[in-house]
Amino acid sequence: MSERTERSEGREHMPDRRSVSPAPGPTQVLADALAAEYAAIWAYGVIGVHLADAARTAARAAEAAHRSRRDALLLQLAEGAGQVPADRAGYALPYPVTDRAAALRLAVEIEERTAGHWRAALPHTTGADRNTALAALTDCALRATRWRRTAGVNPVTVPFPGRPA
Amino acid sequence: MVLTCPVGTGRTLSKQGRAGHSRRGLLRAGALVALGGVATPLTGCGLLDRDDAPPEPDALEPLVAESLALEARHRAAATAVPALAGRLNPIADAHRAHADEMRRMIGRPAPSGTPTPGPSGSPVTGRAAVLTELRRAEQQGQTNAARACAAAPAERAAMLGSIAAARATHVEALA
Repeated sequence: MSERTERSEGREHMPDRRSVSPAPGPTQVLADALAAEYAAIWAYGVIGVHLADAARTAARAAEAAHRSRRDALLLQLAEGAGQVPADRAGYALPYPVTDRAAALRLAVEIEERTAGHWRAALPHTTGADRNTALAALTDCALRATRWRRTAGVNPVTVPFPGRPA
Repeated sequence: MVLTCPVGTGRTLSKQGRAGHSRRGLLRAGALVALGGVATPLTGCGLLDRDDAPPEPDALEPLVAESLALEARHRAAATAVPALAGRLNPIADAHRAHADEMRRMIGRPAPSGTPTPGPSGSPVTGRAAVLTELRRAEQQGQTNAARACAAAPAERAAMLGSIAAARATHVEALA
């Protein structure tokens, strides 16, 4: 959904998991995941204001979870020799987010997008790094499922979370 | 079945008229069936006696079997509790898609046909019990897929990661 909108609008600010270079190394894929986490944190700031009650609480928890992943990545990447990507001041939204329905739709898409970046890290990591990537992918997929349920989207699951459509 | 059909023995049975089956013909057919029954194991022995080692089972085979068993469990539960079918059938479809994708990766085509009824044991009835059973199975499945992802070569890691994550979301969807 969002990807179609994104393409039609020629956006390029939100990191797109399909734009990953063909043979990235572990540092590059983790830097991509970091960029996705930045965008997710920013998006939840927009999402949260259009939600109330339990959904707003869930948005806060989701944002905190993405901050936690971001911080872990910052620490890890700072130890390496590679460049650590910086956050941006803001991100272009794929469509106007002015009500609850659009906020929930964006929440699902943000989680699937971030799941895609973590999924892309799996082939380029081993051991603890791969386990971290899988845990992050799984967490994103779970949140996407919960947001679909909140939004009344059926089915609430997808066969291959994080896989490019 | 064989005996109800004309058997191509190379000689016509026209002398016997429209009935079509002579006693000799029937005996000949029986002999062919018997020969076939003997010949198959002989062929099997011949294959086994060759120097080629049997192909090593792919590491994904147990996960393929698990996906198909999970699919069968969800289909059976959807039949047992029709009110849950809308929730369970998409999950069953996902398990089938996982099995197909893994088979494609292994390089073995999917056998056609319906899923084999899994070793589900005694059928669980009742909405809550059904959901509890399925959640437990999905949790075990998630653990197994995550373990496989951790140990997988790079080219399989992403697919197995998606399968592990999908199984986790199934637990959530069944809550």
